[in-house]
Amino acid sequence: MFSNRIRLIFNMTLLMLLSFALMSCTPENPQSTFDAQGPISEIQKNLFLFTFWIAVIVFIVVEGAIIFVTFKYRRKNDDLPVQIHGNLKLEITWTIIPAIIIVIIAIPTVFGIWETQVMPDEEDAIIIDAVGHQWWFEFKYPSEEIVTANELHLPEDKNVIVNIESQDVLHSFWIPKIAGKVDMVPTHENKLWFRADNPGVYYGQCAEFCGIVHAMMRFRVIVHTAEDYQRWTEDMRTPPKSLSSGSDEDEGRKLFVGNCSMCHTNDSYKKAAYHKEINSQYNRWEEWKKDKENSAIVSAPNLTHFGNRLTLGAGIKENNYENLVKWIENPDSIKIGTRMKNHASIYNTDKKLTDQEIQQIAKYLLSLKPENETMATYNKE
Amino acid sequence: MSSIIEPKQFQLPRIFPRPMSHSGIWWWLGTVDHKKIGTMYGIVSFFWFIMGGIEALLIRLQLSHAEADIISPELYNQLFTMHGTTMVFLVVMPLSAAFFNWLVPLQIGARDVAFPRLNALSLWVFIFGSILMNISWFTGEAPNGGWFGYPPNSTVQFNPGNGMTFWILGLNVLGVASIAAGLNFIVTIINMRAPGMTMMRMPVFTWMTLITSILIVLALPVLGVAGIQMTGDRVYGTNFFNSEAGGDPIFWQHIFWLFGHPEVYILILPAMGIVSEILPTFARKPLFGYTFIIFSGILIGFMGWFVWSHHMFTVGLGPAANTAFTLSTMLIAIPTGVKIFNWLATLWGGSIKLTTAMLFSIGFIAMFTIGGLSGVTHAISPSDAQQQDTYYVVAHFHYVLFGGAIFAIFGGIYFWWPKFTGYFLNEKLGVLNFIIMMIGFNLQFAPMHWLGLDGMPRRIYTYAENMGWELSNLAATIGGFLIALSVLIFLVNVFISRINKKLASGDPWDARTLEWSISSPPPHYNFVEIPQVEHIDDWWYKKYPGLLEGSPKQNKSPIATVEDTSNVDESKIHLPDLSYYPLFVGIGLSLAALGVIYTYALVTIGLILVFWGSIGWSTEPVNEPHEKHH
Repeated sequence: MFSNRIRLIFNMTLLMLLSFALMSCTPENPQSTFDAQGPISEIQKNLFLFTFWIAVIVFIVVEGAIIFVTFKYRRKNDDLPVQIHGNLKLEITWTIIPAIIIVIIAIPTVFGIWETQVMPDEEDAIIIDAVGHQWWFEFKYPSEEIVTANELHLPEDKNVIVNIESQDVLHSFWIPKIAGKVDMVPTHENKLWFRADNPGVYYGQCAEFCGIVHAMMRFRVIVHTAEDYQRWTEDMRTPPKSLSSGSDEDEGRKLFVGNCSMCHTNDSYKKAAYHKEINSQYNRWEEWKKDKENSAIVSAPNLTHFGNRLTLGAGIKENNYENLVKWIENPDSIKIGTRMKNHASIYNTDKKLTDQEIQQIAKYLLSLKPENETMATYNKE
Repeated sequence: MSSIIEPKQFQLPRIFPRPMSHSGIWWWLGTVDHKKIGTMYGIVSFFWFIMGGIEALLIRLQLSHAEADIISPELYNQLFTMHGTTMVFLVVMPLSAAFFNWLVPLQIGARDVAFPRLNALSLWVFIFGSILMNISWFTGEAPNGGWFGYPPNSTVQFNPGNGMTFWILGLNVLGVASIAAGLNFIVTIINMRAPGMTMMRMPVFTWMTLITSILIVLALPVLGVAGIQMTGDRVYGTNFFNSEAGGDPIFWQHIFWLFGHPEVYILILPAMGIVSEILPTFARKPLFGYTFIIFSGILIGFMGWFVWSHHMFTVGLGPAANTAFTLSTMLIAIPTGVKIFNWLATLWGGSIKLTTAMLFSIGFIAMFTIGGLSGVTHAISPSDAQQQDTYYVVAHFHYVLFGGAIFAIFGGIYFWWPKFTGYFLNEKLGVLNFIIMMIGFNLQFAPMHWLGLDGMPRRIYTYAENMGWELSNLAATIGGFLIALSVLIFLVNVFISRINKKLASGDPWDARTLEWSISSPPPHYNFVEIPQVEHIDDWWYKKYPGLLEGSPKQNKSPIATVEDTSNVDESKIHLPDLSYYPLFVGIGLSLAALGVIYTYALVTIGLILVFWGSIGWSTEPVNEPHEKHH
């Protein structure tokens, strides 16, 4: 009877292993750590795989031994087996073997720690400030004087040093295909460096629990060729297309100025706008801290050249007219708990917007693209 | 011995008469008997196991497919916070405590623990503390900041409302229960062993209880400090962790994990002890390398203090700290590996009977090995940067805490059930319970490994459709419900076995340690005569003395028999009388904690109960002088 049970357990295990194999990791998945696209994630992946294969050997030995003894030494009669209390030589052997394995794993690990964590030469790198907010990412390029949100633009094959901080609670900055995460901590500035090998669009996501919509705090990383990146930086300093007066977009602009611009800046292409934006963001934060329940002003993503963004709501939905209208109508329908919904006067006072006004704002925001756009390649996913 | 108590000693006037009758509700409420206390620990924590399980199932439902809309994000956050808190503090710890209570006095040949009333206090503080924490569900603001409670997200600045205050006060209260129990078991094990039972003759379970208790006494005060600081921050406006006022949120992480990592071993060492009792019994062989197992247990407990920052590899402590904690974490793999090899060697050459308890124990080794190996991959701090806060971590610690601790505890339940109750649990249902739990467990948690490596973060209530996570999540959800089914089968088993009692003798498994040398269930005084111990596994050698000279085949039938209780003169056995004071102190502590949230009136009432109870307790005689013993 027992052998039937064992066979059943064995078959079930086999069946499970097979079904797991079917579900196993696929590098094509947008956040797969197996598809390393830069030296940092490459080191991390290789260290993992190295340890993994050693673990597989140990796994097979131990689990094999468990199955073997369970089959081999099943009770056949009432005789007592030979009573062995231990064997010092054997025990010392299997203390030393794990110790040796540990040393084998430890050596590349320690090299890996220093390789990934010692910062490269700043002269030769792009420096970016990444700030975590509930629940979006702010990206600043101090040397380029560019501010943007939820979309990180980078050139390929260039070292990037990210100064990582948070304005409110803990977050974590993570681009699985390019670099493992580093926490965003208020009061502590962290540094992360990486390099992206290939142009493309990559996914990033907050990985430290940060409150009600932690699940919807994502971002995109757009890696350009060196020339495209240069054009992008120039675009970010170019004013948007001018609007003909009376058009929906122009009406939208007026509504935006009246209802949204307290918190959202969208003209950081101007000269000296960078420091102004840093100050405004700081002041918004101070304003919100004074009255967290009712403040009409909160920290909010910069919307300069929003029309070129791939997503809205911090990497949540594709940035198109339909989604944008939905978002402005009721942010909760896409992302529950945003500060915009909880604090903006258009949702919390009589100053509600009509459908037409919402549509005009959406059209205006989508029209925010650099005039004489020099490139169109980077927003193609 | 009751005459030792001086009749004129000061005694706090009683408001209620001391409960004396050994029947009815007061027998349970006033009991100081370690067996009854163990039973109550077991029942209450199993109730929380089911609650924590339901929380898990709701989480799994919400994650069963992409962009599901079954549970709101706020409720989801409450569910995962309380699932973690419940399973750690209200399930695995007190279920282990249930075994400590039941088994330690029996295994060391004692009549009770060193401080029976303190033991009752631990129980009541645990019960009311667990209720305190869960009251928050009914006020509509259950804790939502994670079982780790990281500030600033758990500070009142970012998390107003009472949820996290309930959580931290609940932990403070539960800490009192654990520390008292830990002290109690240390003193019991050190001082109350039967004559001849040297430290190196103690059963392994008792050894692991001792190590666990030392860890509890050292680690829980650390959480207590953090808890008082956070209570101060949330209720009285202090700024320990308030980053807006210059407080340091990382400070919390250090204290929390300085407690939290030893806590991991507090959860797993008792399970290792349980398995170390079951394997030799059903292999009919001594535990291979008793000394190695004991010392590796001590080493694990000791080294558990030097690894806390491996929970913080991504916090930004720098390469030097990460190197140090990477290496110290890897070292723990060595004593853990030693244990696994020793268990395997125990089975090697044995005469293995695959009872349910044995299946769970072998399942424990198999699953714990997987958890241990994924633990080594976490120790590699560079690649951990990819795994930290992903489902890979969730997979890892469920292999250790479910595949490890819970499997062992189920094994322990099937193993000692006849000792606790006097009848067997149904073995057929038991095997079914094991098979379904094994399949469900692996179906739920194995896919989480690849989910994590495919970049799925923890604690997210929803995910997008194009991430490639749907199939694995669906499998995990199905697995979760299979586990629920297996627990249901267990409950049916308990019910059916209770009706169709298949009576067990005192030593139904031909086992090895002292608890099997007395009748099942044990009499309230445990041992008629305190045994004289000469060997490790003393009972085994009393049964098969020929084994001491070798040549096992001549020793088929046991010589010794379990103690006969039919002609016992109980007047010669002295046990403490019931006491209601521990119950009142327990209620008082939780009321006072609840009052911190709501009103000082409650604090006052609670503290009056605590003081009245403590003074009454310390002045009441162990036995009422006039009372005749039954």
